[in-house]
Amino acid sequence: MLETEARPRTGDAERAQIVEALIEIAAERGYGETSIELVLERAGLDRPAFDRHFRGKYDCFLSAWQELNEECLATMVRAYESREEWTDRLRAVAREVIAGLSRDPSRAHFGIEVLAAGDAARARRDMTMRVIASLIDAGRREMEDPEAVPHTTAEALAGSAYGQIYSRVVRGRVEELPDLVPQLMSAAVLPYLGIEAAMAELGRESAAPDGYARPVARKKKAKTAKPPVDPAEYPPELARLPPGRHGLPREFVTHNQRERLIAGLAEAIAENGYSATTIAHITRAAAVSRRTFYEHFESKDQCFVAAYDTVMEELQGRVTAAFEESDDWAQAIRAGIAAMLEFLAAEPNLARLCMVEALVAGPAVVERYDAAIQSFVPYFREGREGRPKKVLDRLSPTTEEALVGGMVSLISRRIIAGRTEELQDLLPDLVEFTLTPYLGSAEAAKIAKQK
Amino acid sequence: MADRVTHATRKPPGRHPLPREFITRHQRARIIAALAEETVEQGYRSVTVADIVGRAGIARNTFYENFSSKEDCFLAASEFAVKEALRRVVDAASRVDAWPQRVNAGLAAFLGYVAGEPALARTCIVEALSAGPAAVERYERSIQAFVPLFRMGRKVAPNGDSLPATLEETIVGGVFWIIYQRIVMGQVEEIEQLLPELVEFSLTPYVGAEAARRAAAEGPPDKPSDGAE
Repeated sequence: MLETEARPRTGDAERAQIVEALIEIAAERGYGETSIELVLERAGLDRPAFDRHFRGKYDCFLSAWQELNEECLATMVRAYESREEWTDRLRAVAREVIAGLSRDPSRAHFGIEVLAAGDAARARRDMTMRVIASLIDAGRREMEDPEAVPHTTAEALAGSAYGQIYSRVVRGRVEELPDLVPQLMSAAVLPYLGIEAAMAELGRESAAPDGYARPVARKKKAKTAKPPVDPAEYPPELARLPPGRHGLPREFVTHNQRERLIAGLAEAIAENGYSATTIAHITRAAAVSRRTFYEHFESKDQCFVAAYDTVMEELQGRVTAAFEESDDWAQAIRAGIAAMLEFLAAEPNLARLCMVEALVAGPAVVERYDAAIQSFVPYFREGREGRPKKVLDRLSPTTEEALVGGMVSLISRRIIAGRTEELQDLLPDLVEFTLTPYLGSAEAAKIAKQK
Repeated sequence: MADRVTHATRKPPGRHPLPREFITRHQRARIIAALAEETVEQGYRSVTVADIVGRAGIARNTFYENFSSKEDCFLAASEFAVKEALRRVVDAASRVDAWPQRVNAGLAAFLGYVAGEPALARTCIVEALSAGPAAVERYERSIQAFVPLFRMGRKVAPNGDSLPATLEETIVGGVFWIIYQRIVMGQVEEIEQLLPELVEFSLTPYVGAEAARRAAAEGPPDKPSDGAE
């Protein structure tokens, strides 16, 4: 399936091969029955190869899932931008996504099986869903009264489109997916454009993706079986990864016992993953006694929550400080993102703890994670102030949430792939990605490229 | 951890004047409730039969008299919840005549049930996805069970016959998705406030935006007096 011969770096090819095998096996057997042995047998590789890239089955699933989600996001963005009118854009997205699933049913099945991996897998999917909802929600700017449709409508439409695709896949009827396009489109335009537009959608051809090439094509993507996304193949909005990065002094860890325990927890988790980490791991890493641990915390979970809160407080403090230094909003956003990336890159263990492991550490933390993501929304929302009506009309109520979601998704992907130290390379992409809706792509790109 | 449900409600062993069948049904319900509570606390995959038995205050044997495994118990829980939800929805909807009011009443009953049973709701709507293929399939089917209720709307819709074939799936899937999202975000208490938006969302395709908004603003018909059951 996978064309490995043209891949320049063998490490990447090896990793892609494992991911591809994982997807196939998981699609055939489900999460529970998938073992590293089976995956390696299919990939024709040995255990050391696996260990070079992944920390275990769970890690491998999550990484593959993250890649598929990003692949899907990239496809959607490309399709959306290939058209001018909202309905055409949405139709392009629907066709492309469904064409992708039909071409590669094992990816579709994988997308269902992976949900058994738990909260983290669900949360990644939900990020993608938020982006889809915001594409649908853009339909309100086609209306005389943009507030006439409740905000939950787009969310519901996105969710139900997912549900319909999901149920076809579960029942092994992937070949029926293309027929869904007119149905989904009809349902999606109805609340915004009315019944006639909805009927018109039903009459349209279902599939036939007609090559959504952008005017300035960057890099040609293979039509079939894509290898996991290489950052170089991201759409223009997310591409351009300039070389060069700067290491930063560690300064987070102090002598304070409690903070030492928190740092110990982060280290132990980075090594073993959340569920396999024991109190003994934590105390060893923190170089304190077991008794000291229990003086501060009742349990591993409690320690994790404390760690999460501490890290997020630190992170938010830095972002806020950076943001407030500039009077110009776009510059402030740039500074805030830079501060976030700098902190995460300098503290890979803490980065992993708050961006990846948080999602598997139980409902209390998942809730905090969601709240933390929400806490970044107001910074972006400020960008609406003083914009011309034309720009404001283009933004949907969920734009900011989608921007934060997309940003977090890109960052977590790097962390999961063990490339935390490269995070700062993402700065220009993230700046451009987040500023474009407010400033337009030319201006956003200019600010993104600043030194 | 420390505060397991007390065993106060537990029947004294041996001596119970109630008919056998009642006891069994009651037991099943209690085990299902215990499964749901444990699932919410620690996630479905971590729950053991021992946890369920401890929480329900019953003997391990009793569990296995009712269910063959944790999975079996889970499937029973979701079947129970779907049946109960359907019953309440149909019951509420059948008290009124006009289609928009039926949707209003049915959705109100559904949201009320979800809000009133947060543990069961989380178990069936969120955790179902990590409970294995049988549970996923069951979840799918339970969503489908609500589809015919909406299909009746085509009779009142001017374009009834030409509406998209999957419209009802869209509506039911959308409603479930919104509820799922609220549960995941820990906003179960606010679920009932979603009623007007969901009514509008569900009715618009059939009766048009204007009429849908009016029906949503009206709210459900007189709430069935408490303890209707």
